[in-house]
Amino acid sequence: MTVTPKPTGGVGMNPMANALSIILLIAIIGAAWILFGGYGLIFKALVAVILGGVLIGFGVHFVPVGGAPAAMGQAPGIATGVAMLAAGAGLAGLFGGAYAAQSNLGLVTSVVAGGIGGALMMAVTCLFVVLIYTYAMGIPSASGKVKVDPITGDTQAEYKSQGTEGHGLPFSSFAGGVIGGFLGGVGGTLIYYALLQVYEDKLPALLSAPTAQAIVPVAVSLAGVFAVGIFLVNAVLAAYNITGTTEGFHDPKFSRFPRAIIAALAASAACGLVAILVAAI
Amino acid sequence: MTVKVEKIEGGTPHDTIMWAGLLSALVCIYLGAGLNSMFNAYTFSFFGGLAAVAAIIWGSDTIKGLCSYGIGTGVPSVGMISLGSGVIAMLIATRFSWYLAPIVLVVVAVIIGAIIGYMANDVIMMKIPVMRRSMTEVAVIGGLMLMGFAQMTTGSYALLDLAATKMSILGLPIAAGFGGSFIGASIIAVAFILGAIAVQHPFNACLGPSWKQDRMLMLAAECGFLSMLPVAFMSVAYLSLPAVIVSVVVSAAGWLYTYNEYICLAKRDAAAWLDAKPIREPEGH
Repeated sequence: MTVTPKPTGGVGMNPMANALSIILLIAIIGAAWILFGGYGLIFKALVAVILGGVLIGFGVHFVPVGGAPAAMGQAPGIATGVAMLAAGAGLAGLFGGAYAAQSNLGLVTSVVAGGIGGALMMAVTCLFVVLIYTYAMGIPSASGKVKVDPITGDTQAEYKSQGTEGHGLPFSSFAGGVIGGFLGGVGGTLIYYALLQVYEDKLPALLSAPTAQAIVPVAVSLAGVFAVGIFLVNAVLAAYNITGTTEGFHDPKFSRFPRAIIAALAASAACGLVAILVAAI
Repeated sequence: MTVKVEKIEGGTPHDTIMWAGLLSALVCIYLGAGLNSMFNAYTFSFFGGLAAVAAIIWGSDTIKGLCSYGIGTGVPSVGMISLGSGVIAMLIATRFSWYLAPIVLVVVAVIIGAIIGYMANDVIMMKIPVMRRSMTEVAVIGGLMLMGFAQMTTGSYALLDLAATKMSILGLPIAAGFGGSFIGASIIAVAFILGAIAVQHPFNACLGPSWKQDRMLMLAAECGFLSMLPVAFMSVAYLSLPAVIVSVVVSAAGWLYTYNEYICLAKRDAAAWLDAKPIREPEGH
């Protein structure tokens, strides 16, 4: 088997690729403007989907992901992959936001409810991760990337075992996880809410439903499955950006986030346009 | 007993598996739709499940090619992005007529997958040679899997049939409406996660120094048939009794056969380890 080195994913950016992505983004937004008659419901929905995708891609960078090394106490973070953690937080948020949207509480309440759902899920996860690390595995929390915790100011080096990159879940990682969950939940709910408006508007005619109320289950399910799909695309792209493990916002890898934002812009624009076209053509 | 030494690289080339997977998935979807409309029955819906199995076998080999580079995020992330991009292509394809829909699915999935692959490889700078191609392939695979499962559940992959269907328990219509349909009842979410887990599991389970392609592909077929079983049970709500029985029998027979074959292959590859002798104490000390 050919052994290839693990991609390190440097800090630099590829100007040519970034320019092409921005051109693609502008082309898609322009196409939506021309096809669907300017600043209407569909154009607003597409912009909301893109914004939601960017929030998800940005939020993933806050989540402390440890992967397999964390399970062995050799790296800080929650001992699972980015895709699983981000999907867990985002989907928990999506359920909260979708419930608020279904109760007709409006855009702001739905989006904030989604954010709180995601943040709550991450907070509960982080709490139990700390409990298990500390009291079940006997691992103190120590960051390997910074000398002092940026929030509490506690020194880290004394608690870090030699030969590891830190271990446990330092306070800043905990806080980062909650912020990441909030952003993911907000982004997912924004996508869901925008698509739901489009489908509730377009589907009754498309499916020749007797009443507009009859298609609500279909609109909710379609918007939900598309929100999950676009969420996973953006979360996995952001996960590739941090190549597996990160400690949260104080990790040097955090400075790579502009690349993930550009990728999320173009990817969610393409996915969002197709998702809207399902009902709009 | 001698241990058969096999090349770890090698086996069937990926291009062959890709074309075989794509063509057999498309042929199965068309066969199911064509035979269903020819005989005016739902009995041939199980071909959709076979299309999903073909896509899963192809997908496991694609994921092997990509994840050999060590993407750092774990193999499941590829399964998730596969279905995440595939569901979008699949649902727009359902707007077209039955003979156009699979082609539209492949074309739209190639476009979405190429954009995602470009983002991952060039903007995020993963710089993995097969990244763009793999992301394009997994988007098509995700879409084909969902379309196959949709066909197996409801006997059709047109949006109107998926969104509004005559609800029936074992062929007795009980209600017509949108709430109980494939999309309205969110059965699509179950199909989504069944496909995502089935496509990422084979390589995740078989990776390592003793990886063998035939064992991984057999596990992929086993995962596919195992995923067909719940889909067959869900089709109770939409299809006639004979169609459900045919689906269950095909899935169960396929699963039993591939599971048995997989166990044989696993024993073949495990023999190298069972045969290992304990380390002997050196004599004369």
